[in-house]
Amino acid sequence: MSSNNNRHSNQDRRIVITGIGVVSPMGRTVGRFWEALTHPLDVATKTDSGTALRASGIAHFDGRIEDFDDLPAPTRKTLRKSLKLMNRETQMGVAAGQQALLCSRLLERYESERVGVCFGAGNVSVMPEDFNSAVNACSDDQGEFEMDRWGTDGLSEIAPLWLLKCLPNMPTCHLAIINDLRGPNNTITQRDVSFALAIAEACRNIKCGDADAMLVGATGTTLNGMNLIHARLEDEVCDDSGHCDRQRCHTCGPKPFPAEGAGALVLEDLHVAQQRGAHIYGEVLGSSSAAFIGHDGASACGRALANAMRQSLRQARLSPAVIGHIHAHGLGQPNMQQAESRAIADVFGPAASDTPVVATKGRIGHACAGTEAMEVIASLLALEHDRLFPTDDAGGLPSSGQTEDGWNTAGDSFLSLSMFGRGLGSSIVVGAFRE
Amino acid sequence: MERRVVVTGIGCVTPIGTSPDDFASGLYAGRIGVGRLTVFDASQYPVQIAAEVHDWDLSSVGEDPTVWRKCPRQTRFAIGAGLQAALQAGLSDAQIDPVRFGVYLGCGEPFEDFTAFTQAVHDAQKSEKTFLDHALRIFDPDTEREYEPDMPAIHLAHILQAQGPVANCVSACVSSTQAIGEASRMIQFDEVDVMLCGGAHSTINPFGVTGFQRLSALSTRNDDPQGAVRPFDADRDGFVIGEGAALFIVEELEHARRRGAEILGEVTGYGSAQDAYRVTDIHPEGRGSATAMQRALQNAGLVPDQISYINAHGTGTPLNDRVETMAIKQAFGQQAYRIPVSSTKSMLGHATTACGAIELAVCLLSLRSGVIPPTMNHDSPDPDCDLDYVPRQPREVSCRHVLSNNVAFGGQNAALIVSRYEEASPATVPVSWAA
Repeated sequence: MSSNNNRHSNQDRRIVITGIGVVSPMGRTVGRFWEALTHPLDVATKTDSGTALRASGIAHFDGRIEDFDDLPAPTRKTLRKSLKLMNRETQMGVAAGQQALLCSRLLERYESERVGVCFGAGNVSVMPEDFNSAVNACSDDQGEFEMDRWGTDGLSEIAPLWLLKCLPNMPTCHLAIINDLRGPNNTITQRDVSFALAIAEACRNIKCGDADAMLVGATGTTLNGMNLIHARLEDEVCDDSGHCDRQRCHTCGPKPFPAEGAGALVLEDLHVAQQRGAHIYGEVLGSSSAAFIGHDGASACGRALANAMRQSLRQARLSPAVIGHIHAHGLGQPNMQQAESRAIADVFGPAASDTPVVATKGRIGHACAGTEAMEVIASLLALEHDRLFPTDDAGGLPSSGQTEDGWNTAGDSFLSLSMFGRGLGSSIVVGAFRE
Repeated sequence: MERRVVVTGIGCVTPIGTSPDDFASGLYAGRIGVGRLTVFDASQYPVQIAAEVHDWDLSSVGEDPTVWRKCPRQTRFAIGAGLQAALQAGLSDAQIDPVRFGVYLGCGEPFEDFTAFTQAVHDAQKSEKTFLDHALRIFDPDTEREYEPDMPAIHLAHILQAQGPVANCVSACVSSTQAIGEASRMIQFDEVDVMLCGGAHSTINPFGVTGFQRLSALSTRNDDPQGAVRPFDADRDGFVIGEGAALFIVEELEHARRRGAEILGEVTGYGSAQDAYRVTDIHPEGRGSATAMQRALQNAGLVPDQISYINAHGTGTPLNDRVETMAIKQAFGQQAYRIPVSSTKSMLGHATTACGAIELAVCLLSLRSGVIPPTMNHDSPDPDCDLDYVPRQPREVSCRHVLSNNVAFGGQNAALIVSRYEEASPATVPVSWAA
């Protein structure tokens, strides 16, 4: 098996970011997202997005064609027809992907077979409302549900394309179809570390010559029926369906509220991006994940995280001392937060105290696979603007974005960290682009 | 030097054999695993047949089955196949750096407890409380936590103490093909030395049967289960749902040599591509499938006449088999008529996300045995399907390079090539992350 696949193969390819898209509880465009992020926290809660966030964690996004911004007419037509086949996770992922493609201007001239898609996503999303009429059809005269009538009376009430609507790989499929992207196409379903795995895979796809560009992203929700149940069972979100202000909530403890959202990036071979004069937001220098499973939950996550951080820094050939800031997983649970702090201290050593650490789950909420995509975009925008944003809850983390003198600068590079409570950790290293 | 990827362990749990030897015997005997559906009561369903794994549990690999009773069938299959592969590879006796050992599976969506789900939908209709309220009361938390697609990978990483990357992908019927291809890439990119990869799935549950039945994808030959799957036959009418798992230990060649592992084959080619046509249909000329096969050939540095055998996706649906035939002709030109092509789904049914891994096991067994399995039930030639489908009888073929092809709902396509291990291999450029 050769690592060189075709005419464009080059293992020393540099991978740069040329497009960004986001659908988040803090705004469904990149501009709104950054604006909300940089508001001081006491102001952010009073903005439209902030109010929605505190009320329900729902993104200002209804899945209507109007929510997909400026699209070319043919794309708009295809998308309009496809919307009814998409669940909400897919709609958010597609919207973020479309934004990133538009931002990159990649589609003004491209080879279909040289552009692929790789996303992180959650489990199959079975929605109770899709089963209402079928369950009704199986009810007896007293309204009791009769399971043995499913095959004869219930099954035929399910929409013919129901299965396709709820599969996790649908965001990548729709994005490929709408935009004629015929390169590699995959969906990673590894919860909170999905986005890091998707980034790493997309980079390999480009480096081995299978693609010149990859649309990479993640989408997720912990708001709807089964996803919320699973997040609650994993003890990842608060129990009050987000009807709380985490700053002052005494019922849910420090866990983040359920949320939803998606983020997407266009990754591109540097040479190709420069040839077409693309704006470069940053460079992917490394992405790694690791496991330490079967040991005590939080400390195992911390050990996995430390291993992932070391590996990603090795890939980036950077020492911790030069990292501009760390975007922490910052789930808020004390034991997870302590484990994360220890991992940062282990890997960064003395540099830990000089490296700003930010966390945004207290503001964005926890949208499972989608969260880290939004977090990476937040830090990427911080690099672009050379300033960090306020972090609401540094609880136990070494330092934060705000100093007594104002905001820290974002630096030239950042680490984005993610953890999943069963012993998984991931780390992405992104740097400002330098020739 | 190029890092070569070899296979040192195979494990499989299928409807026609629950170990590699048993599986090979079944394949070459033309054993058909399709029968009446027994996993749940489907007597009132329009489709009442499936290819099920019978008379097997985890005691065969030394595990206590009661420990795994709350896991879905696919997790149990994955654990069984994974432990078989690890045993054959001799991992337990080997000095392996756990941080350089990862897991990448293509396990599909394990649907929720159907009885509990529909009961919660029903109860929500009849009361003031929400679906969430009822679901949290009805669902068994321990069971529900296991119903995520990444759980098999997490359990196996725990059992085998793999501390490198742990990933699961879901791209419908090409999931496990992509998992094996991407796991091999991780080894080539020097991120790891050893990967456990493959896939497991079972959609033999009311959700799965409902979904595929509503898509009109299933054979309705309830009165003739053994004759129901008829790939490339003029009288084919759909696929039969199957289940199972195949997992592999893939390893960097020098790593395998150093520890004296038996080399069962080499992963030499991998290709992935999207149709970018429709979510509901494959491209009418199979353009994505042809591209994936061409990429696999190119990746392996092979030309079409070097391929000894193609294991086709061959679902037995009218559209798939006609289009796949066209795609093979596009990728292989006139050589397509010379290369034997068979569909083992005629015996195994369609194990959805696991099918690619199971079919790669078929290919590896053929490399070693010099026998290729037949396409059962291929009785009436279809003028649109005019290749050599190895009808009804196995055939002795000295195989050096064989290709496994898979196609998915949503337009994803992937192909893998495995080759008989030989010392000589073209030297290529080293791979690294850094520029």
